[in-house]
Amino acid sequence: MDHRPQAWGRPRDDVYGAYDHSFMNTNSHPNQHTQQPLVTGTSVLAVKYKDGVVIAADNLGSYGSFARFTDVKRLHTFQDTSVVGFSGDISDMQYITRHLHQKSIEESYASSSANKKSRLSAANLHTYLSKMLYRRRSKMDPLWNHMLVVGFDDDEKPFVGSADLLGTTFTAPTLATGIGSMLAQPLLRTYAGTDEEAAERTKEEAIKVIQECMKVLFYRDARSQETYSLAVVSREGVEMKTSEKLENMSWAFADRIKGYGTQTV
Amino acid sequence: MSAMFSQNPVMNGPNYSFSDAPRTNNGEFREHRFNPYSDNGGSTLAIAGADFCIMAGDTRHTSGYSINSRMAPKVFRIGGSNSDQSDATIALSVCGFAADGNALRDQLDTVCKIYRYRHGKPMSVHACAKRLSTILYNKRFFPYYTHAMLGGIDEEGKGAVYSYDPVGSYEREQCRAGGAAASLIMPFLDSNVNFKNQYVPGSGVGHELKERERHPLSRPVVETIVKDAFDGAVERHIEVGDNLQMMVITKDGIEEIMLPLKKD
Amino acid sequence: MTSIGTGYDLLNSIFSPDGRNFQVEYAVKAVENGGTSIGIRAKDGVVLAVEKIIGSKLLKPGANKRIATVDEHAGVVYSGMVPDGRHFVDRARDEAQSWRQTLKTPIPTSELASRMGSYLQAYTMYGSVRPFGITAIVGGVDGSGDEVIDGVVGSGPSTGAGGKVDGKHGGPFLYVIEPSGQYWGYYGAATGKGRQAAKAELEKLDLAAGNITLEQAVKEAAKIIYNAHKDNKDKDFELEMSWISGVDGPTGGRHMEVPQELKEEAERLARAEDESDDEEDEKKDEKMEE
Repeated sequence: MDHRPQAWGRPRDDVYGAYDHSFMNTNSHPNQHTQQPLVTGTSVLAVKYKDGVVIAADNLGSYGSFARFTDVKRLHTFQDTSVVGFSGDISDMQYITRHLHQKSIEESYASSSANKKSRLSAANLHTYLSKMLYRRRSKMDPLWNHMLVVGFDDDEKPFVGSADLLGTTFTAPTLATGIGSMLAQPLLRTYAGTDEEAAERTKEEAIKVIQECMKVLFYRDARSQETYSLAVVSREGVEMKTSEKLENMSWAFADRIKGYGTQTV
Repeated sequence: MSAMFSQNPVMNGPNYSFSDAPRTNNGEFREHRFNPYSDNGGSTLAIAGADFCIMAGDTRHTSGYSINSRMAPKVFRIGGSNSDQSDATIALSVCGFAADGNALRDQLDTVCKIYRYRHGKPMSVHACAKRLSTILYNKRFFPYYTHAMLGGIDEEGKGAVYSYDPVGSYEREQCRAGGAAASLIMPFLDSNVNFKNQYVPGSGVGHELKERERHPLSRPVVETIVKDAFDGAVERHIEVGDNLQMMVITKDGIEEIMLPLKKD
Repeated sequence: MTSIGTGYDLLNSIFSPDGRNFQVEYAVKAVENGGTSIGIRAKDGVVLAVEKIIGSKLLKPGANKRIATVDEHAGVVYSGMVPDGRHFVDRARDEAQSWRQTLKTPIPTSELASRMGSYLQAYTMYGSVRPFGITAIVGGVDGSGDEVIDGVVGSGPSTGAGGKVDGKHGGPFLYVIEPSGQYWGYYGAATGKGRQAAKAELEKLDLAAGNITLEQAVKEAAKIIYNAHKDNKDKDFELEMSWISGVDGPTGGRHMEVPQELKEEAERLARAEDESDDEEDEKKDEKMEE
């Protein structure tokens, strides 16, 4: 008989072993918060032109290779002066857009007049978002996105900036995320390789090159879709279209492609 | 299974079947870790002269084989009295993981600005160099993955270059190359700035040999060395190119020069 | 003020024998001395307006706003002690934000009024606090229930289960919250020094019939404030007005200042009315003299 009351009614240590508390001890196994992206969006493209910026992304939310959501808007307007285009994890995108929404409400506390310009330029927003991403990567709990921020900088010049899950940032006259940086960026650089060249391009030229690149991406990116969103940011504001469709696609070239996989003839 | 009924769980570690974090074959926890670092390429170079100092870097920003941007400077003015940094006296160059580089630059700039507000004068390069070392060392166990260099004019009016490893070990030097093409540029500098392996002709053999006398180089010579160093690096390293950014620091302030490099 | 000296008015947590909380009644006095503020619930939006008394010529015109944005779709104006009003606004913003955080959707105006009512009520129950010296007018336009989820990425099925039902909820709302914590919904509301005159004018508009448009309401609001100021002529004032329309209206569902041109037009009309009233008065006076 065990005379210690605290041992009564418990599994006997000599039969079952001492109770193991270690599963409650967080140091006994690794933290498991580091995630991976689940529902994802593919490339975002953006180019400058003389009076603004054009940005586009398709409306697909992929679950691995499964085309899970076909109506996902990945371009988000901020205060009618900037647009953020997201690739990567869709739930992190929603977290960020909600956060930005709250920020813009807080901005409107100070000034609610309609004719006053936003205090935050796209360049400011880009800095803000990249610090947010860098902070999270430093906590080893990243926001799994690569985004493009477009609009104007503090000197009222067109602005295109990139920020990714590591907090890496850069700007360029044309930018593309994900597979778009391989397939579309070379085409975009023929449209405008420098800011000087971009300053000579018209809105129509910018939209055209973006459409061509979306087409190339739809042909070759397995995680893409033909309905997409396209936004033009100019000094007048944001012109957002969310149900554009790629036209005049032709797969006639496909039967002439040879040399992949097991195909030998 | 036998471990589950162990009499001494404390020594054997966790031994309940439901504590089943994934493990590798040799019993280690399998950790699919997020990699918080990347390499954004590029190269930097700093040379000190008698009364000036040149900090240089290319402006290419890469990820793997992709060029992200052709205009992403790596040399920054530090500790000016406002955001345009027009009255800065110190320059910092950072090479490696660009996000860490930017964070480091922001932190050092803040420190220098606070110093300026408190003391009513800019920080000396000597003090700033020590502070930068401390900042880097503070993140010893999650380092800023950068090769940093600091340039300025010291309290005697001489050009000063300090170079760092990612965890804050540092040294004042005559010149230093950093980043992707450091191993290409550094031997060139050894020869052309420090005259290594150069001896006075006819001064003897073996230990009798006299090294060629070193002297501080003039500004035009240093500028030429910098340009040549980068032209060479661009030729041989894919991560270097686009534009050459040079900051010339003299007692009158910092002058910035931007020159084209090959874009291929 | 027969209660003075009886001792029942010294503490919030003590009732008088006839069941009154004198601290709350004194707070109402503070409101009655403040600049007039009004709110109009028109058929397609809400207008808020305030007679901002200018205490010094050294104050910058147009600065020191009295109408506050609480959330995108909601605004607040108040009469009484301005610092108390500021705190009220801070709390209202926190409530709106926490609602968004949990429900990912804008707070319904009724809910905002309810929460702020409860908040003010709590300041009538403890000996350690005093009630708010303000009466607040809360205006908002609620969405229809669809497409107002923050961060939503798609538009959902267009028909069938989960399909849309139009115009089920939403529209303009107006609430008044008093120092006691009591709040009611109104078509038109007025508080502050000139409330009696303002209420009389508001009643004439027959707002319950739903005939007044937002733009008309703006002009009426300006007239009412100018009219209410007549009894307070020795002091200078500035008119401050804000409005909220539905999503398809001029403000796109947001609470914002009335645009400069419209405000100037409304003030011009208000002044014209004022002068014609004066002329009529003068004529009457002349007739009486005759």
